Order: sequence, then structure tokens, then C-alpha cells
Amino acid sequence: MGLLSLITFAPIIGALIIALIPAEHVKAIKGLAMVTAIATLGFSLFIFGQFKPGDFHFQLLESIPWIPSLGIRYQVGVDGISLWMVVMTAVLGVVATGVSLYESKRVKAFMILLLLLETTMLGTFVAVDMILFYTFFEAALLPIALLIWIWGDENRKKAAVRVFIYLFAGSILMLVGMIVLAQRTQLATGHLSFSLIDVQAAVANGKLWAGALSLEVWVFWAFALAFLIKSPAFPFHTWLVDSYTQAPTGAVLLGVLVKTGTYGLIRFCITLFPEALPRAAPAIMGLAVVGILYGGAVAAVQLDIKKLIAFSSLAHVGFIVLGAFSLSYNGLVGAVLGGVNHGFATGALFLLVGLLYLRRRSRGVNEFGGLKAQMPVFAALFLISTLAAVGLPGTNAFVGEFLSLLGTFESGIAHTVGLSVGYAVLAAAGVILAAVYMLILFQKLFYGEPKLPAIRRLRDLRGWEVALALVPTALILWGGIYPATFTGPMQASVNATRMMGMNSANQRPAWGNSAQSLDERLNLYQGAEQVAPAGVHAQGPIAAYNAARPEDGP
Amino acid sequence: MGDSDFSYVPWIVFTPLLGFLFQALLGKFLIDRLGARGRWFCGFAAVLVVAFPFLLGVAAAFKLAGMAPAMRGTMVTVAPWIDLVGFRAPLEFYVDPLSITMVLVVTGVGSLIHLYATGYMAEDADYPRFFTYMNLFIVAMLILVLAGNLPLLFVGWEGVGLCSYLLIGFWYKDHANAKAANKAFIFNRVGDLGFVLGLFLLFCVLARSAGSVPDGRFLSFDLIRVQLVNAIGANPGYATAIALLLFVGACGKSAQFPLYSWLPDAMAGPTPVSALIHAATMVTAGVFMLNRMYPVFQASPVAGGVIAAIGAFTALFAALIAFGQMDIKKVLAFSTVSQLGFMFVACGAGAYDAGMFHVVTHAFFKALLFLGAGAVIHAMAHNQDLRNYGGLRKYLPITFLTVMAGFLAIAGFPYLAGFASKEEILGSAIGNGAVVVRISGFVALFTAFLTAVYMARLAGLTFFGAERWRELPEPHAHEDQALPALMEDEPDPNRFYYTAAELAEREAHAAHADHHELGPEHKPHEAPLSMSIPLIALAIPSLLAGFILGGERLQNWLYPAGVKPGLLGWDAPPWLPWVSGAAALLGIAYGLRTYMKGLPADQGWDMGKWNPLRRLSADQFHYDAELMAGMSVGGRTVGLALSKGFDPLFVDGTVNATGYTAGALGLMLRKLQSGYVRFYALTMLIGVLAIVGYLLYASKGGASL
Amino acid sequence: MNGVPMAAYLLLGLVLFTIGVVGVVIRRSPIVIFMCIELMLNAVNLTTLAFARYLPQFVAGRERGHTAVAGEMIVIFIMAVAAAEVAVGLGIIMAIFRLRDSTDIDQMNVLRG
Repeated sequence: MGLLSLITFAPIIGALIIALIPAEHVKAIKGLAMVTAIATLGFSLFIFGQFKPGDFHFQLLESIPWIPSLGIRYQVGVDGISLWMVVMTAVLGVVATGVSLYESKRVKAFMILLLLLETTMLGTFVAVDMILFYTFFEAALLPIALLIWIWGDENRKKAAVRVFIYLFAGSILMLVGMIVLAQRTQLATGHLSFSLIDVQAAVANGKLWAGALSLEVWVFWAFALAFLIKSPAFPFHTWLVDSYTQAPTGAVLLGVLVKTGTYGLIRFCITLFPEALPRAAPAIMGLAVVGILYGGAVAAVQLDIKKLIAFSSLAHVGFIVLGAFSLSYNGLVGAVLGGVNHGFATGALFLLVGLLYLRRRSRGVNEFGGLKAQMPVFAALFLISTLAAVGLPGTNAFVGEFLSLLGTFESGIAHTVGLSVGYAVLAAAGVILAAVYMLILFQKLFYGEPKLPAIRRLRDLRGWEVALALVPTALILWGGIYPATFTGPMQASVNATRMMGMNSANQRPAWGNSAQSLDERLNLYQGAEQVAPAGVHAQGPIAAYNAARPEDGP
Repeated sequence: MGDSDFSYVPWIVFTPLLGFLFQALLGKFLIDRLGARGRWFCGFAAVLVVAFPFLLGVAAAFKLAGMAPAMRGTMVTVAPWIDLVGFRAPLEFYVDPLSITMVLVVTGVGSLIHLYATGYMAEDADYPRFFTYMNLFIVAMLILVLAGNLPLLFVGWEGVGLCSYLLIGFWYKDHANAKAANKAFIFNRVGDLGFVLGLFLLFCVLARSAGSVPDGRFLSFDLIRVQLVNAIGANPGYATAIALLLFVGACGKSAQFPLYSWLPDAMAGPTPVSALIHAATMVTAGVFMLNRMYPVFQASPVAGGVIAAIGAFTALFAALIAFGQMDIKKVLAFSTVSQLGFMFVACGAGAYDAGMFHVVTHAFFKALLFLGAGAVIHAMAHNQDLRNYGGLRKYLPITFLTVMAGFLAIAGFPYLAGFASKEEILGSAIGNGAVVVRISGFVALFTAFLTAVYMARLAGLTFFGAERWRELPEPHAHEDQALPALMEDEPDPNRFYYTAAELAEREAHAAHADHHELGPEHKPHEAPLSMSIPLIALAIPSLLAGFILGGERLQNWLYPAGVKPGLLGWDAPPWLPWVSGAAALLGIAYGLRTYMKGLPADQGWDMGKWNPLRRLSADQFHYDAELMAGMSVGGRTVGLALSKGFDPLFVDGTVNATGYTAGALGLMLRKLQSGYVRFYALTMLIGVLAIVGYLLYASKGGASL
Repeated sequence: MNGVPMAAYLLLGLVLFTIGVVGVVIRRSPIVIFMCIELMLNAVNLTTLAFARYLPQFVAGRERGHTAVAGEMIVIFIMAVAAAEVAVGLGIIMAIFRLRDSTDIDQMNVLRG
């Protein structure tokens, strides 16, 4: 068993052992779950030892035939884009398990489902075979729905059903898209394969979509819809609001579930549909911008803390999607980085709000007030998470959003994607809204006299709660102060991903060609040849400017 | 000339950073353990970590002065920060006369204000938290001024905004403070939107023109100047766009007209904060940024005109509002807004060094005035209303003398600091070729006269005339409002709550100190030594800075001839010193004559008796109230309409409609499932017959479906 | 073979099947319905056997023995399935009878929509 399989299935192994423990040994179950989560995190850190940052190919690849007659394999690997996603999932797995130590209802089942959920998330990020990806992607719904159904709040059943059906309906189209891709691969190469590597290789040499533009557009939207629902982008966000609001405290991993959507957008939609991409990008960016403004405006008037966080997630995911579909290098880095950052930031917020909820059993913004006097350490930690949500420089969110916006702006100036300058301006205005709703929340929770008796009785966080909350908060600060830790390993993969989507056929890098390597600089400045609708042939950010406005080049 | 020459410069930033960490992590612990000695130690550490960078700054200044003017610009790279292949913005500090000047102002004035704060905040329960924020502010401000590239400058830019937010809301038990803090942050965010967009545009323009920049450091200041000439030369329209966008950012941070109104509200913070952040350092960041980016602004005469016009309008507008204010800190706040307007007039006129000159002198005398006001407030039991003061010169001699020095300096008394720097501003504007700028210059000249009058009003009402607080009614005995009874203990296995005993002890501990209120028996007392030393130390440069820095000394230091090309020359009209000096003297004389006698009848407690114009000025010409009402009501309306209307009806409605449609379809189809086996058999039979019939029909060649 | 034409087998099959169908549709006793189902199955068996016996003569170039066995095998399958079905079905009916003291098929409508 390779390292990635070990990481992926470690939670399940823990869950199986927990299944053998009688349900009344609550402490043993909780302890074992915690040990499993920490072990998974420990294993995931080993990836860094073996990961080669300059290489854009899938690394640590494991490939075992699964259903050979259909070309389906158990194939897992990581590249620069999924690397931090895996680590982020493992980190938040620890956080989620930690806060779940307070769970008192049907602990055994809860822990098993939680660990199951972690495995499905990890599997989604490491899967290279499309069917394997789909399996994990869908399997995540079951534990999520059950966690909400059994342990959620007052409207839990409705929320659980809605989450399950909504997400399930969204991704079923993607399965059809995958089958089309596999079948086209067979046409192009003669081998039926669901492996992303094989499919992308056929896309890279232009054979896969040769003469099938309208099919390409359809399949693109099948994928895009599935991921936009999961992300979620603007009109598809209601499941998120329901599930965030109703989910139990331990469901910090919901923040990761959302990231599988943005990850899928970058992994599939950008790499596999080079001709459909420039046509679709403005529409998707438009949805992202609407999401940013809409999420901000709606979050500002919410009286329910978790709803507020849900709508703020809608806004933050908007920045990720915006950066990704700006199709500029900086924007894509911003999007990948934004996924990781937002995972930590929402994780921290979710955890802290959860700790508060455990004490007061209330999510109402107006049910608090004066917490700063009462719980100074909690206030400090919450402040850091708030600032990350606001996107203040010095927190990780700033770097991601800054690069996303910069990429969007660049893309507009270089005419890569029309309308982008307008999008960048509107999205940047969304940053103001972030300050509005987060500061109002902070004020209502923390300022003022602690008047309510129940508030005056509150102790500050306990030692281990502080330690737990420090994990994501420390990463928030680290990501803001030294983002190179995060951007370093992802650059080669991001650059390759961008060129897969932007270059013309035969100039695209291919995961399948293991000998291929990118001279980063060369390709960034000269390599990326763009397939633009207006017949503009731009080459990378710098050349793009020149090509777009040749009359005032140097 | 390697980095090693200035390798100690990063410690200018890191020292206060260590101080911040010390206060944040150990401050409370020390005070709990050591009591008064811990407090003393915290205060000492807080001052030390600001004073030490001042010494480093002095060393750097001397080293720079010893170098040839053309060589005075060194980039000290510390670590990578944003580190992508095509775009690098490392953690790097740019050491040049401009940044070191600001370092000296920030740490010099800053350490005095920290010293003052050890006395002013001595009674406060949250002593270490105060210095945590203050030290963090110094860190952010130093990052801002030393930053080697625009993104890093933006870190400091937002960092000072954060500290300002935290310090305005320092006394967190009052929601009004929190609202003022939010307002400050959000207004700054609006400005930052412009700043960020300007930065993006600049990046794109530079990236487009420059085929390659070493390491992708597009936005580093040592390269921007070189690249910018090529990039913008072909397309001056970009220069105007970038300059105006960056100026929007400056408007936010430096409280210029459309975005000024957060600054007066920011006075909710402790007075040392007002002195340090909202007068001496942070609000001048806009002017500093204009200096830092001067090639962009210089390339665009249009932007220059706009900047000068907005600066002049703000100066006049804020000066008029200052006449209607009765809160001593509000008067100073509007005076700050007004003086910042002067600085922008200078920058708009192309005299960036004159703007910086005023930044420096203003830092001295405005910090002095605020600290003096703080001493007055301290003496008057935290009452800030000018109507309650009067005759304080007897009680507060040191404060009186130092504040008078600051007053004369800001009023433009000939040859004091304010006179010298305003002189350059007015000269550059009135002598400018552009009509807009020249008009701005005359407006500023008139505002200088107004400044003298309203500052005389402040000084007269505070220190002269009758002791008006003697006429106040006896203060009510402060009643502790009865706290509501606690609910009885429920089981608490997780130890989330205090037990009743712990709670009782806690609340007894928190029972507040004496609530001394202003009344007829009140006897003002002079501030302690820790507060009067900074006052004296600031009074000296307020009087003398004009002699030390004037006469083009600062200009040659910041913008040496031949090294930084293209700084506009100007011919100040020869009559200007006489006219502006006369205006200042006239204003001082008129103001003191009016207000030394005491509170004029038409400015008393009854607003109804006020002159309508003054009432209008007291209400800030309704600008702020209308803007805030419009924004909050409008924002709420939109948000609620989306949240309660659009989202459930349309977004969620579509989803629910899909669900209900499926349900309704099911309801219709369930009738077919009658439960009678024979009905099913019959249906089956019909189906089979239909299929067989079709097959027969098809096999006859009759169908081609 | 012995002069009985194929049409006769088919006709008999048709008659048996029709009786079965009509019986299933109009009778209310589950036992009778079962018998009618058996009747239909036997009709199908008869038809299949008849085809197995006669059809190869009309298929050119096909090896006879091979296909003939296929038809007979289907019949054996059907008989096996029918036996199993009756066993299960009668079991269910017994259970229902014990529960309700009646075997009227029209009252077994708990699973209606």
C-alpha cells in the first residue's frame, strides 16, 4: 500500500476498529478517533518529504486495475494542486474530531461517520481515475447527510434531504460527462480508459475533441454544473446555507466538502476543455462576481451566525472561481491558494462558533454581546479568523484574494477574458462588504457590557480548546506571512494546468508524458498560447499585453 | 554598496514587533504576578521598543547623509513573501531619505506618545492590551513607510487601519466606540478599493511595457521609477487613471473630503491614540504614499489638479466645521482633516517635499496639541466639552505653555514650524501654472486665517475666562445598577461556566474604580511627569522645526536636485510671507480677543440660540449624518430584500419548485397503483398486446418508427 | 413428423394461454390465479417445444442438434422457475391466510399508492 492509499484509508481503518468497540466505551471511541485523525495528519505530512515541487505530473502514483473491462482503475496521485488540499483535509480532520469530543449522542456512530467523511474527502483529492473520483465525490454525501440528519439542529431532516438530493442531482450529469470522455478517449486512442492521465493526453494532442465542439461545450457544462453546485456558485448556494446552519458542531469538514467543488473546477474544467473554456469563462466569472456581491450583501443582514458564515463562504468561493476562470497565471495561483486558505479560515470560524454554540446553544447574533470582557482569549482567536475573512494583509486570505483579483484584472487588460476589468472592480468592492458583515458580527458578539446572566457565567476557552483553535489560526497567520510555503509546490502544476487550457493542440503539456518538463519561466512568458475567440494569440501574461495592444509595446 | 550597509534596518521593524509579542503574550501575566512593578515594566518595555528604532533611524539618517545624493536608495531584502514565477513581492525595505524621515517622525513622536501613555493609561485595567495594540501599530506604520514594494506598503497600510480599528474600539464596553471603529475601518476599505485597483493597473501597465523585470519584482520601488517612464510615456492616460485610483486610497487613509468623516468619530479612542494615529502618523500615510509614488502623479497634471482641488476644499470645509465643535478633541480632529488638506494641496501642486514638510511639522504640533488636550481632559475628569473649561492656565501651567506653543505653530505665527511649512505649500500652489491649483492656493490661504481663529477659540475657551465648571450642578452619586440575578447552576460537566462562588469573586474584582465626575468642587491638577515631559519635548520642535528643516533643507534631502528629476519649481509671489503672516496674526488676535473673555452667549448650552450657520457647522453641514443614514438604511434595505425576498422566493423557490413538481407528479401517478392484482394483470396484458401488435405491424413492413 | 402440423401445437398453446390470462384477470382466489399462471407457463412450454421441434427445418445452414437442445433447455428452466415460484407464492398465501383468515385477492391491497 502506497503512502497516498495509507493516508486516504487511515480514517476508515480507524473507523473499522471503532466499529468493533462496544458503544458504551465512549472514552475509548473518542480517543481512538482522535488518534486516527492525528495519525492521518502525520501520514499526510510525509508527502512533503517525497513531493518534487518543480514537477507538474501526478506524483506518488499508485495504479491498480479495478474494473479492467471498462478501463477503470484504482489510480491515485498528488500534484501541486491537490497536495495542500490533502494536508488541509487532514488538518481540519483533526480539528473536527477534536471539537466532536464534546459530542454525547450516539458517539460511536458519529465518530465512524466523521472518519468516513474524512476518507471520502481525501479520496476525492487524490483520485486520478475519474470513476474513482466520482465514487469518493458522491460517497461524501452519505456521511454528510447522516451527520446532519441525526445530529443536526431543529430543521435537520429537511436540510439533510436537501443536501443529499441537491448535490446528488448535480453530480449525476458529471458521470455522463465522464462516460463521454472515456468513450471519446477510446475513439481517439483505441483504449477505453477513465484515467484522467489518459483522457488529458488525448485532449493535449487535440484528438479527443477534434470536430466535436458542441459536444465539448455540453460536456464542459455537465462538469461545470456539478462543481459549481458543490462550490457553491451563486444560484446554487441554498444547500450550503441549510447544511451550514443545521450541521452539528463537528462538521467542520463541511468547509472541505465545498473545496471539492472548486478543486474539481480547476482539475477538470480547465484542463480538459480547451476550446470550450474561453467561451464559458465570462459566464462563470459573472456568476462568481454575483456570488461575491450577493453573499456579502445578504451576509450583512443575517441574524444567525452560521448563516452569516455560509453566505460569507459564498462570497469567498466567488474569489476562488473568479481567479480560476480568469485563466491568468496569478489568478489561478490565487484560486488554488484561496481554496487552501478558505479551508483554514472557515475551519477556524466554524470551530470557534461551534465552541460558542456548545456553551450557549444559540446561533443568534443578538444573543451575545460583551464576550470580549468575558472570554479574552476566545476574542483574540476569533479576531484573527475575522480578519482572515475580511482579507486583511498578514492573513492568508489576503494573498489568495489579492492574486485572484490581480489575475482577473490582468486578464481584462490582456483581453484574455472580456469584461474582466469590470469583474475585478466589482469583486474588489465585495471586499468592502466583507469588512461590513464581519465587523458587525464581531461588534455584536464581543463589544458592549456582558449583560445577559448566561454570558456573565461563561469561562474563557479551556486549554485544549485553545490548542485546537490555534492549529487553523496559526496556519492563517503563517499563510499570510510566508505564503511561499503554500505557493512553492503548486506553481509548476498551476502553470501546466493553465497551459493545458490555453495552448493550442500539441502545445499543451500532458500528464501522460512523464518525460515532459516545463521550464517555468520560459513557459510562463512564452509558452502559453491562447485560444481566444477574437483570434488574439497571446503568449503568457507579458506577451499577452503586447499582443493585445501591439501599437504601444516597447 | 551592498545590503550589509543597512542590514540593521529590518530591526527598526522587528524591535516593536518583539515588543508587541511581549505585551500580547506576557503583559497580563506580568501584571497579575508583579502588580505595580509589572505595570511599570510593561510601560517601560513599550516605550523602549519604540525608542530603540528611533536610534537606528538616526544612525541610518546619518549614514544616508554621508552618501552621495544619487546613491541614497538601498533595498534591504529580508525574506520572500509573495513569491510566484512571474510576480515577486519580497519582504524588502527601501531605505532612502523619504522612508528614514518618516521613520524618525514615527518613532520619535511615537516614543514620546508611548511615554505619555504610560501616565495617561496608568489607571486602565487593560494596560498591556493597550500597549499591545500601540506597538503593533508602530510595526505596521514602520512597514508602511519602509516597504520596498507596493503590496508590502499595502500590508502596512491595512495594518495601521487594523490597529486604528482596534484602538478606537479599545474601550469595548461601549457600542458607540465599536461603531466608530467599524466606520473607520470600512471608510478606509472604500479607499483601499481605489488603492488596490490602482496597484493592479500599475502592475498591468508595467508588466506590459517591461519585457522582463529581474525576478518579476514589478512593484518594487527601486524598479518602478525606471520602468514607469517607459510604461507611461507612451500612454499618459494610464498615469491619470493610476494616480486618481491611488489618490482614492489616500483620501480614505488621510481623511479627505468624501471619506473624511471617520476621523472625527475616531476620537472615541484614548487620547494618546488620537495623537499618535489620528493626527501625527497614520493619517499622513496618504501624503507619504503620494511622495513615494510621485513619478505617477507627476506624469498627470489632471490628477494634480484634482488632488489640489480636493485638498483645498477639504481644508476649508473641515475648518468651517471646526467652528461649530464643542468637544475639544473634535476641534482638533477637524483641524487635522483641514491640515491634511493643506498637504494635498502641496502634492497637487507638485511640491511633494512641501507636503512632507507639513507632515513633519504637523506631526510635532498636532501631537503636542492632542497630548495637551489629553492633559486637560485628564485634569477635568474625562470631560471633553469646551463649555465646561475656562481659566485652566492657573491650574495647568506646563500644559498651558506647551499648548500655546502648539497653538501658535499651527496658527502660522511667523517663523514657527507651521508658518514655515504652510509658506511652502501656499507658495507652491499660488505660484503654480495651473488655474485650479492656483485657486486652491488662495482657498488654502483663506483657510490658514480660519485656522488661526478656530485654534484661538480652542485655546481661549480652555485656558482663559471664568472657571465655568464651577457653575455645573453637583454630580449625581454614581449608582451601581443592580446586576440581574444569576440563574442557578445547571450540571456543567465540561466546565464551561463559572461556579457561583467564582463568579461572585470575579464581579467583586471587576467592581470599578471611583466614578469621579466634574462638579463645582472639582480641582484640576497638573499631569504627572511622564505626561509633561513629552509635552515639553514636542513643544521645542513645534517652535523650531521651521528653522531646522526650512529653507529648502528638507527639499534637498528628499528630492536632491538632479537626482529626482522633474520636481516642479515655483515662483512664490514675494508678498506671500507678509500676507500669510498678517492673516495668521490677525486671526490669532481676533480669535483670542473674542474667546479670552469666556464663552460667547451664542455658543452656550442651548443650541437654539446658536447662529444658524454655526449650527450647520456643528452638524458637519449634515453631510455625515445623511451619508451614514443613506448607506446603512440603503445597505440594509438591499440586504434584507435579497435575504428575505429574492433568496427564498427565487433562488430557493426554484429549488423547492423542482421538488414540489416531482412530488405533484408522484401524487398523480400513485392513483395507478390501485392495489388490485387483477388490475395490474390487465394492464400487463394490454401492454403485451400493444407490443406484440406493434411487432406484428412492424414485421409486415408497415412501420418505420 | 407424425402428421400433426405445427399450427396445431401453436393453436393449443394459444388456447391454454388465453384461458390462463382470462383466469388471472377475472378470478379472485389466489389459488386459481396460480393455476392459471401455471397454465400460461405450460402454454409457453408447449409453444417453445413445438418451435424446437419444427423450426430448424426452416433455418438453412444451422446445425440442427445444437439449436434443438436450446429450446428444450428453456422449458426445463421455466419448469424449475415455476416450481420455485409456486413454492414461494403458496408460502406467501399461507402467511396471508393465517394473518387475515381470507385469501380474497382484492383485499390484499395494502401496498396501493
